[in-house]
Formats: sequence, C-alpha cells, structure tokens
Amino acid sequence: MPSSTSSSEVRPDRYARQTASDRPGVAQPVPVRPVPEQPWGRIFLGAVALFAVLLAGWEAHWRAFGVTPSMNNDDGLWAIQRRRIDAGEGTATVLVGSSRVFFDVRLPVWEKLAGRRPIQLCLEGTTPLPFLEDLAADPHFTGRVLVGIDPQVFFTGFRYREGALKYARKESPSQRIGQWLSMHFVEPYFAFDDPDFALQTVLERQPWPARPGKPWLSEVRKLSLHEADRNSYLWGKVESDPQYRELARNIWRQGFDPGLYPPPQKLKEIIKAQIDGTAKAVATLRARGVQVLFVRLPSSGEYLAFENRMYPRAQAWDQLLKVTGAPGLYFEDYPELRGYELPEWSHINASQTERFTTALYAILQRDFWGPAATPPAAGVPPPAPSAAAPR
Amino acid sequence: MVFNSLTFIVFFACVLLMHSLPLGWTTKKINLLLASYLFYSAWNPPFVILLWVSTVVDWYAAQGLVKARRQSARHAWMLLSVIANLGMLGYFKYGQFLLQNFTALMSAIGIAYHPAHYDIVLPVGISFYTFATMSYTLDVYLRRALPARNLLDYALFVTFFPHLVAGPIMRPTELVPQFAVPRRATADQLRFGLALMTIGLFNKIVLADSFLSHAAEDVYDTSKIPGTLDAWAGTLAFSGQIFCDFAGYSTTAIGAALCLGFAMPDNFRFPYAAVGFSDFWRRWHITLSSWLRDYLYIPLGGNRYGARRTYAALMTTMLLGGLWHGANWTFVAWGGLHGVYLSIERALRARFAGYRPGPVVFVLLGLFTYTLVNLTWVFFRARTFGKAWEVLRGMLGQNGGVEPLLSTYRLVSVAVIVGGILLTHWLMRTRTLESVIARTPALLVCAIWGLLVFLIVIVQGEGNAFIYFQF
Repeated sequence: MPSSTSSSEVRPDRYARQTASDRPGVAQPVPVRPVPEQPWGRIFLGAVALFAVLLAGWEAHWRAFGVTPSMNNDDGLWAIQRRRIDAGEGTATVLVGSSRVFFDVRLPVWEKLAGRRPIQLCLEGTTPLPFLEDLAADPHFTGRVLVGIDPQVFFTGFRYREGALKYARKESPSQRIGQWLSMHFVEPYFAFDDPDFALQTVLERQPWPARPGKPWLSEVRKLSLHEADRNSYLWGKVESDPQYRELARNIWRQGFDPGLYPPPQKLKEIIKAQIDGTAKAVATLRARGVQVLFVRLPSSGEYLAFENRMYPRAQAWDQLLKVTGAPGLYFEDYPELRGYELPEWSHINASQTERFTTALYAILQRDFWGPAATPPAAGVPPPAPSAAAPR
Repeated sequence: MVFNSLTFIVFFACVLLMHSLPLGWTTKKINLLLASYLFYSAWNPPFVILLWVSTVVDWYAAQGLVKARRQSARHAWMLLSVIANLGMLGYFKYGQFLLQNFTALMSAIGIAYHPAHYDIVLPVGISFYTFATMSYTLDVYLRRALPARNLLDYALFVTFFPHLVAGPIMRPTELVPQFAVPRRATADQLRFGLALMTIGLFNKIVLADSFLSHAAEDVYDTSKIPGTLDAWAGTLAFSGQIFCDFAGYSTTAIGAALCLGFAMPDNFRFPYAAVGFSDFWRRWHITLSSWLRDYLYIPLGGNRYGARRTYAALMTTMLLGGLWHGANWTFVAWGGLHGVYLSIERALRARFAGYRPGPVVFVLLGLFTYTLVNLTWVFFRARTFGKAWEVLRGMLGQNGGVEPLLSTYRLVSVAVIVGGILLTHWLMRTRTLESVIARTPALLVCAIWGLLVFLIVIVQGEGNAFIYFQF
C-alpha cells in the first residue's frame, strides 16, 4: 500500500497532524482534534442570527409569492395512508389514480356523505396499476376501489411516483419518526418547505440557454395543497394568477407534442399491456368481493382535445371496461359532472370541488354502489342522468 | 438513522443533553451505548443482533488471545474472530454475488443449476463495524494493543454511533482509551463540532445530493448513450458527489464525536489534489487504506520480499479493497485499476528515483492523477461493465452523433462545483481546515457558517442515504 509520499509536504503549523497513513504497521494512537483559535461563542451566536434573518427573508419571499404552509405530498405521507389498510381499515373505500381524483375529490365531503373517510392513495403523474396490483395482493383489503383514469398517465403507464410503494414497504422507524416530526413541527409552519421551492429546483427552472439538441422542458410546477390525510386540492394561485395559470397550461402543452410519444403501433401495444395488467388485478380483487369502479374525471380545453386525439374513448376507455369487465363512470355522460372550471384544463377549481364531490358521490350511490344501484354494463353509457347540471 | 434527518437532530439533541447531565461516567457510557444501539436499530431493529454477535465474538476472542499460552491457541482465537466477522460479511454482503457467479460458472460448463431464491437485506454499515471489530482482535493478536479493560468500553468502541455505519474505521487504540476517563466537550469543542457537522452536511445535502447526483444519474442510470461532454460531465459529477457524500459523512461524524468530547481521526485530506496514486490513497478514505495496509498488505509481505511479491501483495490488496466496496465485478475492476496505477507508479518511482518535478509539472501530474482517478470512478458508478464501456467510449470521443443528455443547467452546476472542489483541494493541499479557519476573520467564519446552514435548509434534503452505507 502507499507509503512513499513524505508527510513533509504538510506545512508544519500548530494544527498539522499525522494520520494513520503516516504510521504503517503500528497501533494507532488517540487522534488529535484541535479547535482553531476563534471567538466561537460570538461566532455561533452570529451564525444563528444570520441564519434566522436569511430564513425569515426566504419564507417572506415565498409567502409574498402566494404560498401557504401545506403538508408535503411525499412518500412518507402516502405510506401513512397505505398503512391504514393494514391497521384495520381493510373494508374502507380506497381512491387510487392520478392527480384528478387526488385534487378533485374532497375527503371531508365524502366522509360527510358516506359516514367514513376514504383512503386517498392517488399519486400525481402515476398510473394506478401498481397500486391496484398491491391492493390485489393484500388479503387485508376487502373494501371498494375507485380507480381514477387520467388517460395520458394511465394508458402510457407513466410512473412518476411509483417509488412510494417501495418506500411504504421499507420505511424505517427513523423515517417514520422523521415524518411525524416534519408533519408536526415543520410543514404546518413553513411555506418554503415544498420541493417546488427548493433552491436547486428554483435555479433549474431559470431560463438557461437551451443546449443544441436538448430542448428545455419545464417540470410541472406546484399545483396543489395537501392536508395530513392527503385531502388535496388545486392551489388557489393557479386560479387567481393569470400568469401562473398560463405557465401551468404551457407546461401541459409541452406534453401535447406527438413526437414525445411512441409510434401509433407501439402506443397501441402499451395501451393493451396497461389494460391487460389492470384486468388481472381487477379480477383478483373482484374474486375477493372487492367492488372496482373506474372513473374518468373532467378535463377541458386543449388538454381534453389532446386526450381525445391520443386516446380515443372507443379505443382506450371503452376497451378498458370491456376487458376488465368492471363498471366505469365517464364525466361526459353525466351533466352534473360537467361545466366545472378547470383553470389549467386538468383539475377542478378548489372552490368547486366540494360541489363536485357531492355530485360524484350521488352518482356512485345511485348507479354503482348504493343499495338500489344497477351498474350499467361495461362500456355502455348509463341511462339518462336525473341530477341537475352544475351551476 | 441518517445524519441528514430530522430524527437525527432530535436524537443528537437528546444525546447531548444526557451527556451533559451530572451523572457518573459509567452511566454516561451506558447512555452512549444505548443511544448507539437506538441509532442503529432505527434502520432495522433485528440487525442489532449482528452488532452484538460481532461484539461478543471479538471480546471473547481477545480474552482468549491474552490467556492463550501456545501460539497455535492464539492463532485459533484470531481465526475465530476473522472467520466469524468475514463469515457474517460474506453471508450478508457476498452471498448473492457468490451464488450468481457459481450459477454462471455451472452454466458455462453446461450444468443448469437453479439455486433457491436468495433474498437477504444487507445490514447497514456491516463492512465498517466488522473491520473495526477485527482490528481489535488483530491488534491484540499482533501484540500491538492490550484488550479493553471492560466489556462496556469495548462494546462502546464497536457501537459508538458517530463512526458505526460509515466510519472513519476506528482502531481500538484510538477510541478505547478515550472511554477510560470522563470526557465532556468544552464549549468551544461543542461549537466547533457543530461547525464541522455543518460543513459535513453542506457537502452531503447541498453539493452531493442537490446539485451533483442528478447529473451522474442522467448519464449512468439511462439506457441512452452519452457523448463526450456528457460522459465527462457525468463522471466528474460523480467524482464530486462521492467525495462530498463520503467526506461529508466523515466530517459530520468527527463533528458529532467532538460535540461529545471525543476525537476521531481524519478520513480525507483533499484527495483531488493528490499527485500520484500513493498520494491519493494517503488522502482518500485514509482509515480504510491504512486498515488494508496494516492488516492485509503488510501481512501479505508488503515490500519486504522483493519486487514480484510486492506487486502481488499490492494487487491483491487493491482487488480485495475493491470487492469490499460492493459485491460486483465492477468494484473489483475499480480496485484492480487502482492496483495497476499504484504498481506503475511504484515502478516509475524506482526508475526515476531522483526526479523532482517543477511546479508546473507538479500541477500537471496532479491533474493527470485526477483524470485517471475519474476513469476508475466509471467502474465504481456504472452498474454493469456494458454501461462502463459505454461511458468510457464517450469519454474517449467514440460515441459520435448521440443526443445530448445533460441540460445547460446541469453542465454549469457540474463545472462550477467540481471546479470549486478541485480549486479548494489544491489551495488546501498542504493545509488543515483548522489552520485556515484560525487565520480567517471571525466575522467571515460567522457569515459562512450562517450561510451554510441556510443553504442546507433551503435545498430541503430528502434524507438520502449516504453512498457508503451500502458498503
């Protein structure tokens, strides 16, 4: 092993010291760890004061931007909800899906109507398939599943947050404690504590010159606010700030470029694989008596046009219901689920989600899960709706 | 638990409080021992049993060594320790690797062998604490050290939470004597310890995790082929990431120990300013390289039995050192490359014994060393040889016409941070951190400290595990 470089390279000073590499083949002595001469008491107090001032400025900056404290929508928060099934709530209604069921369905409203709060397991930008498979493999779960289908995510099998499942399975005691500490002492008080406002994220989304051949694509910006049980809704800024709303729309527009997607034949294969995988999970769940319902919640404007173009209902949604044999609810079939404001075309304005959830729950009870419900045959639109259209 | 977590902040505050209470020294040591078990079990409680096994086996082995009259008995006690520790390491860390290679070998000679599924979780830091406990028995066996006077001191040496899971790999003679007399940090030791922890966490959370790791991931964790710029940027990013991650851990550990009044050895000495590979290994992961030197290279003969034997010992040491880092042939290749570098350097030093480079050549040799070190990092970071060759071909300009992988932002951050790391290492090459801090105006030290804490908080680290935990 190395031994030829002399320690004389280290300029002798009062803090110079040898390391184990200078003492081959002998017992190593107790290390020397000198403290540099400085007024450490004053330095410490000054550093604490400076830190406090800088942090207060950073917090004030983000509050002025319109941010309010909210729970972080992280894997630890998801894991808490997933554990509810193992902890005796196996008969609950579970919501899986992507951001639409996540942001548009209000849990307190649902609880008021159903008498029981559902378990919110949706993850933005992530197909519900792995979570359906997880529920299918869990004998503790015998409740109901509402599966949100956001076509762009579901039929491509996009898995932005798939890691949540692995995290929940392997979460260490230390991580659980950290989650609890953060939820009680950090997240309720600090607006800046959101991944969207982390320094590196803020720097990355500055208008850096694009590298030739590497077009700059903006990551999805903050869209939602979250509570401790993952009751979530669209951030008010998306609705109230035209500039921010336009930014959100422009980010969606990036994804409307057909060049980003596989060729049609390949896309068909991907869609088929997603549907087949879902059918398998649904069959397992239904064999255990679990009721599974697919829901396609509203989108509008350019987003809806894109979805209809890329994943036509007849080839995607109808096929999903046909292959799985499970019932489905498509927002366009129900006037009471239409006409809501979707500021960035994909999620309902927070102020309207209570009314939306009420309307959705009424349909679920009337047509699918209630005592008198007679679910429409898979792939067939339901009979003429009776409820009034939303205001 | 990891240092970069809220859980650790609360845990450490409690430990500091307990350690400052007016309790007896033995009680304080028991507190530290229990806290250390808590620290370890916060990952996976059952693995504490492995710690106990390692502790008890080496404790009794060392007792046996002292009492043994015959050399054969001493030998047997030493072997018991080595086999128990390496057996544990082998089972948990290399079991899967051995099985895969055995299956591949069988397949190569036409035998279809289908082993049972091997699903073992690697206990965090097992490579570190097994080496620490082995050094205890081996030092007693080599008559370099006396055994600890009581089991409590010895158990605390093995388990002491600052060094437990990722080093610095402590020798018993470095730490056990510190438990003999009551220790409590002075106010200045506490504050400087906190400052060291800040520097360490800044390296880990801000530089490694928030700015460098993504560039390395974009190049190494994709099926796309990198061009020259991307291959170099991804590799340079990893060179910075692994330094900031591991040196950051060591610095945090040293600071945490100092806050409690204990001294831990240096583990890094600005390695990217090394000139030559013997110099690099005197600066990089010092406690591991010196461990391998003292317990492997020298027992294999070192440089005492002629050139051929020296080179064989050197290569064996570096190959096994590579394997220590991970159960994958890419790590062996990484170690092997370093072994080759060290061998060539040794031969050149013998051939040009009187040569002393001028300042410009000296710096150029340093940059050449850093470049070659980066080539070895390719094997360390790539998960397969296929990926390693792909990146190496890119670095050599052989991947023409491929699409760019890294954005301008990523390229700029890698250039700024890795450039900054290199410059810092060269400026600090012959200095210590303490000497520089002592000469810096107090106001500036204060401002830098406050700013570092601020940056640590606003990058909102995700509590990522330190890279070396997997080893």
